[in-house]
Amino acid sequence: MTLATMKRGALLVASIASLLASPALAEVTVLGWPGGPEEVALRAAADAYNAKSDVADKDKVELLFFNRDGFWDKLQADLAAGSKAFDLNLLATYSIGRYAPFMEPVELSDEAKVVYGDSVLSTMQYEGKQYGVPTDLSLHFMYFRKDLVDALMKDDTAKARYAEISEKHLGKKLEPKAPDEWTWDDYAATALYFTQAVNPDSPTRYGTVLQLKNLLFNIMIWQSVPRAYGANWMDDSGKITVNSEAYRKGLEIYKLLYDNGATPRDSLSYEFAEANAAFASGQVAAMLQWNAAAGDLTSKEKSPAVAEVTDTVAPPAGPEGRFTHIHGLGFGLNKNAENKEGAALFLKWLSSKEAALIYARNNGAPALTPEVVAEVADARPDLVKLGEFAGKYGYVMNGGTSAKALSVYELQAKEFTGYWSGQQSIDDALANTEKGMAELLK
Amino acid sequence: MTKAQQRPLVQEFRLLATPVVLFLLVFLGFPAIVNLIYSVSDVSFETLRQPELSGFKNFVAVWSDSAFWQASWFSFRFGLLTAVLECGLGLFLAIFLSPLIERRSWLMAILMLPLMVAPALVGLMYRLVLHEFVGPVPYYLWTYFGASLSFLGPGSSFWTLVVVETLQWTPFALLLFYMAYQAIPSEIAEASAMDGAKSHHRLWYIELPLMLPTIVVALLIRFIDGFRVFDNVYVLTGSGPGGSTASLSIYIYEAFFKQGAIGKAVAASVILFVVSFAVLYGLNFIASRRKGAIR
Repeated sequence: MTLATMKRGALLVASIASLLASPALAEVTVLGWPGGPEEVALRAAADAYNAKSDVADKDKVELLFFNRDGFWDKLQADLAAGSKAFDLNLLATYSIGRYAPFMEPVELSDEAKVVYGDSVLSTMQYEGKQYGVPTDLSLHFMYFRKDLVDALMKDDTAKARYAEISEKHLGKKLEPKAPDEWTWDDYAATALYFTQAVNPDSPTRYGTVLQLKNLLFNIMIWQSVPRAYGANWMDDSGKITVNSEAYRKGLEIYKLLYDNGATPRDSLSYEFAEANAAFASGQVAAMLQWNAAAGDLTSKEKSPAVAEVTDTVAPPAGPEGRFTHIHGLGFGLNKNAENKEGAALFLKWLSSKEAALIYARNNGAPALTPEVVAEVADARPDLVKLGEFAGKYGYVMNGGTSAKALSVYELQAKEFTGYWSGQQSIDDALANTEKGMAELLK
Repeated sequence: MTKAQQRPLVQEFRLLATPVVLFLLVFLGFPAIVNLIYSVSDVSFETLRQPELSGFKNFVAVWSDSAFWQASWFSFRFGLLTAVLECGLGLFLAIFLSPLIERRSWLMAILMLPLMVAPALVGLMYRLVLHEFVGPVPYYLWTYFGASLSFLGPGSSFWTLVVVETLQWTPFALLLFYMAYQAIPSEIAEASAMDGAKSHHRLWYIELPLMLPTIVVALLIRFIDGFRVFDNVYVLTGSGPGGSTASLSIYIYEAFFKQGAIGKAVAASVILFVVSFAVLYGLNFIASRRKGAIR
């Protein structure tokens, strides 16, 4: 082989290598949440950004998606391995502490505060630093059948039966109320009343459907019950406070409903999809569920049996008030990003009013301030409720953004489902949770 | 063959074996060594490259974790039950359907269909099939009996998982047993018939003993598969209420990814490896002794 041939070969290899390498260096790669409204919204925002004349070719945005199953675990492994496959990645309130060591704080646009407000921006903060743009907010609605509740409130015989059932199971005579005025006891009484196992005349098979699968997201839904009785993961001094009357009350309400057949026996394997299917069948009177279900449950095509008679309110109240768990999904900067400058520019734009409105108009669920949401209220009336509930009732448990927050949810899911399924006592469940949390959050 | 004649052959064998040995060293040896180090280290996702040695703390944590024993018991029970059910059913079908399959061989392709479905998809499928409001099984139970079983409730989820696993993997046992049954020389059957042996005597004293090695292998393979079950159980019930349907594989996965307890997860996998190795070694030892005794 001659020297000239070797040189030509080396040149060819170098050219191929540079051709293969250059696209990755020139673009901003965003790892998104696949297969849902978030993907649709992100695609629309990325298209709008790429179409802007002042965005250089090297800063155009390219999207990357991998499967939702095990998404956070795969992301954890990628970030820990120092992956450069993406510049920006999805981030959730409950996982910021876990991923913060592999990410960098970000700078938002000057409009961000006006667009989102402080409480929503705080869902993407960790140790006082902003780690992401809060593009989607999740919280809970109480979905209920207004036809059934209206009929109950107009019927004196039904009211008497309701009082009888509430006295037998809850120890006090209650009167039916409008769902917006419910306490957790009212919810429990309504759920029991609309259960055929308790009240054979009930028009529905079950009064409610609980999501009791051993899954961390199900604990996020449930924990608004003990929160209404004053529960928190820990106090200001860092002492774990789960072994409390508030947690006991929250656990007992769910146990009462499960044991009396107010929710399907298979609820211990139910999560988001199963609960929605149960409610959409028309055999359930009320359900606490993520706001993301609103679109499907009020769509005549997707839920013909209940779409026109389903309404939503904020979760019921307890002695300490009315609460809904909130967490945000957003986008943050990978510490090992190859195009940090381009990524920072996109994040700044993503936190602007222009981007927020594009995101909202394309199926996203940003929690916007009343002034901003007014501009999309006609197209997205659900966002008005989202912003209102987040501002009035939203909370994050103390320690809910820590590095071990996900592990805490996992622990609670295991222990509390153990109690609901009758495998351990409430005392053991609370003691085990307290011990495990002390270890995780020390 | 003299030593001088053997030398080139040995060199040739070494040369041919080198890629395989290198492959095994890189893809099995390296992870095994890293696993051993992690199992005696304090390590997290942040310190994957700088684990700190911590002695046998992780092994003690696993050993004293009631969830580990709960998962071990689940895996053992699940593996044993499904292996026995699959092999029993597979054996029955192989013998019972043998005349039919001999004449209509395409039937075997239909019987093998469940094997073609990924276990995770099987789990997903049964999540729909058994769902009270969308699944056909509860629908017909409600329609005809006015009530439905709770297939995935706390008292029944284990048995539902056993049935789902058995339905998917019985065809595997059926295939092995059918091949073994077909391999029995027809002369033996003819000779026994001439001697006046009845069909059940022929089955018990001739055919089953001849099929015994296949039965043992099938039981072993199915037990190992059932013991390490992950996909369909995880999709169908997760780790179950209170961890009641967590197999050892699920326990290790959750310790690693959900709890971030990497050292503990790896220590559990090392224990599993040592126990599995001991069991397989023991079985191999017994088998070779039996072989020796027969000779």
